[in-house]
Amino acid sequence: MKIALAGNPNSGKTTLFNALTGKTEYVGNWAGVTVEMKVAAIKNKYQIVDEPIDIVDLPGAYSISPFTGEEAITSDFVLEAKPDVIINIVDGANISRSLFFTTQLLELGIPVVVALNKADIITKRGDVVNGHELEKALGCKVVTITATTENGLKELVKTASSSVGAKQEPLNFIDLDGNNDVARQTWINTILEKSLNKKHNASRVNLSDRIDMVVAHKWFGLPIFFLIMWGVYAFSIEGLGGFLSGYLNDVVFGEVIPDALNGFFEGVGVNPLMQALIVDGAVGGVGAVIGFLPLIMVLFFCLSLLEDSGYMSRVAVIMDRYFKKIGLSGKSIIPMIVGSGCAIPGVMATRTIENENEKRMTTILTPFVPCGAKLPIIALFSVVFFPNTSWVGPSIYIIAIGVIIISGLLLKKLFVWDNTSFFIMELPEYKMPSIKNAIIQMFDKAKGFIYKATTIILVMNTLVWFMQAFNWKLQATEIQSESILASVGSVIAPLLIPLGFVGWQLAAASITGFIAKENVVATFAVLFAMASEEALHVPGGALSQMFTPVTAYAFLAFNLFTPPCFAAIGAMNAEMDSKKWFFRGLAFQLSVGYILALLITHIGTLVIYGETAVGFVPAIFVLLAYAVGVTFLIKRANHSKTTLVATE
Amino acid sequence: MSLNKAKIGQTFTIVKIEGHEKIRKFLFTLGCFEGENITIISKLAGNYIVNIKDSRYAIDEAMAKSIRLAA
Ligand SMILES: Nc1nc2c(ncn2[C@@H]2O[C@H](COP(=O)(O)OP(=O)(O)O)[C@@H](O)[C@H]2O)c(=O)[nH]1
Ligand SMILES: [Mg+2]
Repeated sequence: MKIALAGNPNSGKTTLFNALTGKTEYVGNWAGVTVEMKVAAIKNKYQIVDEPIDIVDLPGAYSISPFTGEEAITSDFVLEAKPDVIINIVDGANISRSLFFTTQLLELGIPVVVALNKADIITKRGDVVNGHELEKALGCKVVTITATTENGLKELVKTASSSVGAKQEPLNFIDLDGNNDVARQTWINTILEKSLNKKHNASRVNLSDRIDMVVAHKWFGLPIFFLIMWGVYAFSIEGLGGFLSGYLNDVVFGEVIPDALNGFFEGVGVNPLMQALIVDGAVGGVGAVIGFLPLIMVLFFCLSLLEDSGYMSRVAVIMDRYFKKIGLSGKSIIPMIVGSGCAIPGVMATRTIENENEKRMTTILTPFVPCGAKLPIIALFSVVFFPNTSWVGPSIYIIAIGVIIISGLLLKKLFVWDNTSFFIMELPEYKMPSIKNAIIQMFDKAKGFIYKATTIILVMNTLVWFMQAFNWKLQATEIQSESILASVGSVIAPLLIPLGFVGWQLAAASITGFIAKENVVATFAVLFAMASEEALHVPGGALSQMFTPVTAYAFLAFNLFTPPCFAAIGAMNAEMDSKKWFFRGLAFQLSVGYILALLITHIGTLVIYGETAVGFVPAIFVLLAYAVGVTFLIKRANHSKTTLVATE
Repeated sequence: MSLNKAKIGQTFTIVKIEGHEKIRKFLFTLGCFEGENITIISKLAGNYIVNIKDSRYAIDEAMAKSIRLAA
């Protein structure tokens, strides 16, 4: 039996889905969080009939006729996949809006059960809903629930499963001038007069509005946002998260585990090469990444609290004004904020953007937001080169915003389009964020991180270890610079000279970063476990042979602002739906990361050390070529702009 | 009068929604159409915060211009 959950955005579908199935899907107090449909079997607790039940979570929609890509999925699914029952979640905080969608769902010929959600809010407001009147008027069952506390869910499942096979009578709307949508709205108003006794006047200024007047203020809005983000990142990277990671890295994975393993292997007399593979390759590399687990957990805990509070939709309002200037709107901020967790769902969230160009641009720009996987790189470089400071993490975030704005301006100049986008965003009331939800999200992300570290990163690391321990004749070599990895890295390394990065190791680390960004750290761990006596994660550690603090920061920027990992690149490809735009996007991202690193290295070295960095002359040539190329492309774009006008 | 000219803090009856078909349809599903009420709560960061039915929305200047209210 297949039960689909359908309803307005932010009505609580995902909360209900998680409660029914025990999954940990992403719940956020704002529209546009779920963009894909999710299926899962119901929990044993709610499996109260014999036939197995599957629950399907759909993206939110205000109506059957699609407005954004996100809504199109809902109606397509409901219309084509034909679930046995639809549970229509009606948002108790806005019943009359929700019922518009309900009247449309009733016409699909599939049994509908209305779940009147957020009963706690209804009670708090003092409103009274007459469920029987509502049932009579709609011609379907109505069950009152509170998804967050799982109140009424058994009743809901029971009602839904007993409705299977029932015939759903559509409501008939008499239309005077061929528009039955108006008839629908009028009808809803009439039935609510009978079934809803409203004590609460929504149009009065309330506490949320007062908070908004501060946090979305013309002048204070942006500084407050920066301050909050600064706090979150400083706390995760240098604060609690950094502290715990430091302990894991230095003590647990730096001494305890390798010492124990080495002692054990020496005791049993294992082949030293084998011992090195396990201790330095597998455990060393994966350990270097897993050490950052606390950091990831703290970050996701904070982000989850922030999202659940309702603040994020305000950020969209603040950013709208600035984003309009670069041809985007506040809508584009949603994918970017989701992308600060992981770029893949971030890129997928671009589906809620209805304007094609705005969507493409957001897809190109979203991966510039530092995701969770990039955090270990930031933290590593911060510890080694900038110990006892707290500005590195937040500064990367600010650079990211700068990069997004400048890139947006550039993209707008490079490619021609007419901008007819508009902006509307629901502002849910603020609420106390749920600690339980934040903890669930945190452990969910931790699980994902450990899984990634012990699969793809482990495999990649073992490979890196082999490539640095053997030469092309497949003989074990003591001299790393004669290894397979060195020769592969040396092919790419010249391309990094203009950036002031010297050494095949850096090329090798960056390449492995495309598989998964954490690999940059893991690869360094493997390489320096062999080549250096010094530990990786300490101030002035092994990495300082390769960089000055300035070039270190540039290398960090290079890895963060070039294209994302392959999985995210795949998501970009899927969302772009156009090979031409996909490759343009990749080329653009590559050039942005490259030029940014180049500028940091050379300007930074000149200003701070008063000398020119390695690769200064090639850098000048690269910059010149880039400038010429961009000017040419802008000229061409201007030309097509004028022809576009001429043909109109 | 269009919404961007209206006084903040007051409730108005909507006379007409102009502009793009897509915008009109979308606003319609939210309950924003001829004859319904809309309250202007505040103006923040270049957007208008309005109450339609039981929810708050932020809408931008262009959208505000397309909503015409009874004076
Ligand atoms: N007070 C209250 N809040 C709820 C209830 N169900 C969901 N929410 C909140 O509503 C917001 C949106 O929930 P979500 O499940 O993401 O909605 P979706 O967009 O329909 O999937 C979250 O902040 C939830 O915590 C409920 O029964 N009572
Ligand atoms: Mg959802």
